[in-house]
Amino acid sequence: MCLAVPMKVIELKENGTGVCELENIRYDVDLSLIEATKLDDFVIVHAGFAIEKLDVAEANERLKLFIDLAEAYSAEDNG
Amino acid sequence: MGATKKIIIEPVTRVEGHGKVSILLDENGQVTRARLHIVEFRGFERFIQGRPYWEVPVTVQRLCGICPVSHHLAAAKAMDVIVGADKLTPTAEKMRRLMHYGQTYQSHALHFFHLVSPDLLFGFDADPAIRNIIGVIKKYPELAVQGVMMRKFGQEVIRLTAGKKIHGTGAIPGGINKNLSIPERDFLLKDMDQQIEWSRGALKIAMDYTVEHLEDLSDFGAFDSSHLSLIREDGAMDLYDGGIRMIDSEGNKIIDHFDYQNYSDIIAEEVKDWSYMKFPFIKDMGTENGWYRVGPLSRVNTADFIDTPEAEIARQEFKALTGGKPNNLTMAYHWARMIEVLHAAEKMKELLLDDDLQGEDLVVKGERRSEGVGLIEAPRGTLFHHYKVNEDDQVTMCNLIVSTTSNNVPMNLAVEKVAKKYLSGTEITEGLLNRVEVAIRAYDPCLSCATHALGKMPLTVSVVDHNGQIVDKRST
Repeated sequence: MCLAVPMKVIELKENGTGVCELENIRYDVDLSLIEATKLDDFVIVHAGFAIEKLDVAEANERLKLFIDLAEAYSAEDNG
Repeated sequence: MGATKKIIIEPVTRVEGHGKVSILLDENGQVTRARLHIVEFRGFERFIQGRPYWEVPVTVQRLCGICPVSHHLAAAKAMDVIVGADKLTPTAEKMRRLMHYGQTYQSHALHFFHLVSPDLLFGFDADPAIRNIIGVIKKYPELAVQGVMMRKFGQEVIRLTAGKKIHGTGAIPGGINKNLSIPERDFLLKDMDQQIEWSRGALKIAMDYTVEHLEDLSDFGAFDSSHLSLIREDGAMDLYDGGIRMIDSEGNKIIDHFDYQNYSDIIAEEVKDWSYMKFPFIKDMGTENGWYRVGPLSRVNTADFIDTPEAEIARQEFKALTGGKPNNLTMAYHWARMIEVLHAAEKMKELLLDDDLQGEDLVVKGERRSEGVGLIEAPRGTLFHHYKVNEDDQVTMCNLIVSTTSNNVPMNLAVEKVAKKYLSGTEITEGLLNRVEVAIRAYDPCLSCATHALGKMPLTVSVVDHNGQIVDKRST
């Protein structure tokens, strides 16, 4: 299955793109599909496009789920 | 393996960060096979265990953010079975269908306009600096705007059926939690004819492209295969529900109207040592022959007809090209995908004009069960959700087969075909690189973009020479 981790917008560029980051992983992302993006917004990125903006509460809720999921993954990986 | 050397193409741009392709050569430098390594996140089944079943449709859509509505609805359908809701109210089923067609519409539009159209409009050999959505915006500004507006419309449909954009909570076990108000309906209806018009235009681009380039495309990552999808009782394409149908490459029905509650009787998943992603196959046919394709191409191939008039005409044109037989061209996915865009637009209009959407009867329940399966035709293909739930309402077992998993063998084969045709020597030319991307992209794989972001998913790139020695290796 594929997963979508919220990433934070840390840089806005003039051409409608920006840089998104999560835990030091950075991607150049096209932000043109979502409106009025600001620094520190959380977004879902697919194939280099930000496809959805999340409010902070929703982003935190999801990050919590992903932390649980990462723990389940570690448990699985260690047998 | 000693006599096989590897060339690694990484990253497969625009198909997310985690696709890694190895092209395996024999000692004479001939391509033996290709492998698309997809980093698969194991652990989901363990993660979901112990959670209350009614929470699952919301949880899966939060994690699976690339096609959240598909996971949301597949999980909700499985939970319908758990709560004994064997037949939803007309309002609940039609609201879910509207949500699903909205999702399919926006997903296909995003893929076609933003990811695929640069390849079709500028050609596979165009400079990557131009062959992207920015290039499309500069040269075909109207088209780029249409793509954005079509996607936005689909998003609005999801927002109004689910309550929130993308990650709504619309479907609940046994039904839906809202209907569509008259103002909401009218808000969507006012743009509906324009959306249908744009869908016709997108379909024409995809169809003309395929027909005009047929000679090249017939030899581009094409191969015979079986095709699997849900099918309505009367043989119509149905993206929301139905029985399982599988046809072979000639169109013979191998499986038909099979009740998906029993899918595990006919489908198994093989694990291979080089890929985290499993390989589903039809049990009776074995791993060698039992694989199949899913998604728009398969759905248009398996359907006896489409129940909306314009998409049905388009389907007939599609089938006429192959004399009524299934179309097995990898690149025909785009044409099929745009037939579905038009179908989704027509369906949305039909549903918006149906006053069942304003009904008040939203949820049904019946006798509680301990196991349920939900299938749906997600934009990328058939999606399976299977759960067991204990007496305390906790999930005790979960199995998902996602569309991209079913297309695992086909994507590998498409890359292999391209590599055999375009690899010359051991050098990865830009032309080859572009074509590998184009072939994978046809399947619209939903590879996750940031699964390693929490530090749990290392990505390793290796180059192995003909003696099996790793000559270069890099990790993220």
